[in-house]
Amino acid sequence: MRRIFAQTTKELTQITRDRLAVTLALILPMCLLLLLGTAISLTVTALPIVVQDLDDSSASREFIDAFRASQTFHVVAWPVDRPPVQAFVANQARAVLIIPQHFGRDLARGVNTETQLMIDATDANTAKLVQGYAGEIVAAYMNRDDGGGATRPASVKAEIRLWYNPGRESKKFYGPGIFVLGISMFPPLLAALAMSKEGEQKTILQVYVSSISAHEFLLGKILAFMLIAFAEWLLMMILLYTWFGLTIVGDPTPLLVATVLYTFCVASFGTMLGAAIPSQAAAIQAVALGGFLLVFLLSGLIFPVQNIPPGLRWVSGIVWGRYYIEIVRDALLQGGGWPAMWFNVLMIGLIGSFFYFMAWKRMRRMQLSA
Amino acid sequence: MSILSKLFGVRLGALMGKEFNQIRRDRRLAISLVIPPTLQLLLFGFALNATIDHLHLGIVDLDHTLQSRDLISNMTESGAFVLGGSYLSVNQLGEAISQGKIDAGLVIPVDFQRDLSRGRQSTVQILLNAMNANTAAIAQGYSEGVLQNWNLHAQIVRTSAPPMKPKGRIILHPAFLFNPGLVSTWFIVTGTFGVLLMLNGSLISSASMIKEREAGTIEQLLMTPASTTEIIVAKIAPLFLLLCWMILLATTLIRFVFGVPFRGNLLLVEAGAALCVLCGIGIGTVIATFTRSAQQAQLMSFFVNPPLSVLSGSLTPVEAMPHWLQPVTLINPLRHFGIITRAVLLKGSGLETLWPNFLVLIVFTVVMLSFSVWRFRKQLG
Repeated sequence: MRRIFAQTTKELTQITRDRLAVTLALILPMCLLLLLGTAISLTVTALPIVVQDLDDSSASREFIDAFRASQTFHVVAWPVDRPPVQAFVANQARAVLIIPQHFGRDLARGVNTETQLMIDATDANTAKLVQGYAGEIVAAYMNRDDGGGATRPASVKAEIRLWYNPGRESKKFYGPGIFVLGISMFPPLLAALAMSKEGEQKTILQVYVSSISAHEFLLGKILAFMLIAFAEWLLMMILLYTWFGLTIVGDPTPLLVATVLYTFCVASFGTMLGAAIPSQAAAIQAVALGGFLLVFLLSGLIFPVQNIPPGLRWVSGIVWGRYYIEIVRDALLQGGGWPAMWFNVLMIGLIGSFFYFMAWKRMRRMQLSA
Repeated sequence: MSILSKLFGVRLGALMGKEFNQIRRDRRLAISLVIPPTLQLLLFGFALNATIDHLHLGIVDLDHTLQSRDLISNMTESGAFVLGGSYLSVNQLGEAISQGKIDAGLVIPVDFQRDLSRGRQSTVQILLNAMNANTAAIAQGYSEGVLQNWNLHAQIVRTSAPPMKPKGRIILHPAFLFNPGLVSTWFIVTGTFGVLLMLNGSLISSASMIKEREAGTIEQLLMTPASTTEIIVAKIAPLFLLLCWMILLATTLIRFVFGVPFRGNLLLVEAGAALCVLCGIGIGTVIATFTRSAQQAQLMSFFVNPPLSVLSGSLTPVEAMPHWLQPVTLINPLRHFGIITRAVLLKGSGLETLWPNFLVLIVFTVVMLSFSVWRFRKQLG
């Protein structure tokens, strides 16, 4: 035990000596969280839309006002004599609404009238959102009370309840994801650098001639980087509470247990890579690939895991960040507690132990190569 | 050798020949030019997909009648929702949502059919897990669309209620232009293209600049009669030519693996891509002049690259960013390259509408390259 702590202290002293590493470890994750958590979002607002009003009646103008009043659309002017499709080609608009002639007259007579909405589908997701929003505006416009009193209300009305994130704020969803990305990137980066340095500078030989055992050495190293990860965790949690307006809902114990396991997991991951690759530059690249690319792409951070094609989806089953993202989101938004999250906690523990085991195996072989 | 000398003059030609020889001997560089970009493009293109469909819908049907079952089948039959399970009470449904077993819930009240047949309004409840704002927005629009449609048919089929003055309806016909199949990989792949060129360009150029400094051979180069500008141009030109291969490789993948239609002039995209690569080389060179080792340069790129790629609209639409952040994207060369790629490939736009984007790209490239030459000179002097 005493030797483990001694190893930890040595490791922490070494890190605090390097000014760049300390900044990297503590400030960069927070910058990343602020920037990416705020900037990443898929729900658009104020999309430029061109309206071509061929009717120009009071009814059509009222209809356009319904679009103007919405937050999603921003009606832009477009010369009448130019074909509206050119607005897409010139990147001036993302949608075009065409109101036909006799729009007002038809409505007053009780005849259905057909309007066309052309959507720039270059971005398929936005196109779908636009379709949905426009449909909602039309429905609201038709159900409005226009003073006639003779309108038949829709026979079935939907009461839509948005749970867990009633404001539909993107940052409350992406914030926890980027939070996990930060923890998955920087502690393993530092751990890999420290470990590969031992191999590069051959200081690993001194470790072998000392009385410390492989387990003590590794645990001491991992404990140091767990502490760093935990410091990052605290700093970023403060940001999540203040800037992102999140609080822990429900039972906090799954999150706490998972956090201890996850910091162990990422620290072991870095140590394992460092032990396997005795060159600092190559180790950085490996961590960037594993820590960043896998956790960023295959964890459901931005895009849902269900959308990954089946051939690749199994990979996300071993991406440690995926399980932790689900736990953090559950703890901060959903509050499902142990019944929903026990499997994720278990998986993080398993993957972490695997990394530790591999690091230990590599460590025993390092002696021969050094 | 002799061709290079004739083209660029003796000194520049000789320096370039030296760079080409170095690159040819470095097998890792050649591999890193081909494998990572291919892998990244494929991974991004196949793994990133924002399509929302097959959301699991849990159902509490307290009515158990023909009408309620009709509504349920209408909700679940067309792809966006699939039946995730039936529950006996709203509490059970809520629990299932909080445990993540289902994404949405529909509660149909008792007397649903009776109310409808009497011409009264009935209210169904739809519960959405709004944790993911995008999914919630699409699910909301979709469920309202289904209900609206159902209402329309309901009024035609069962009009036992007393006749009223008919009211005209507005029927909205959406048409999806340029991508009628709503393939979301087209958006991702055309965005990733620029990110790849920029990232790999900056990584490779900073690595090759630093190598010369770490090995100490930069002093030897300075002792030759070549000027610093010549040294830099000789370093940049071969890298640029190499990276042009990557442009071709990526374009081929985009066309044949992902099936993106090439509607406009391909030369415009390639010209934009070439500018993008030059920009990346400029950024890499600047990073190299600020750092002392390869390790530091790589750490620096952690500072530079994520903001550059996230604030470009390459993976997520710019219109979805907070309003105060949107103007910032205008000074990002990747933003402009993304606009160019998508407009040319998918919409068939030409130079007459894209010249402002090209202008910004050119200005940015020139500024970046001359800044790096200036930094380099200052450092050596």
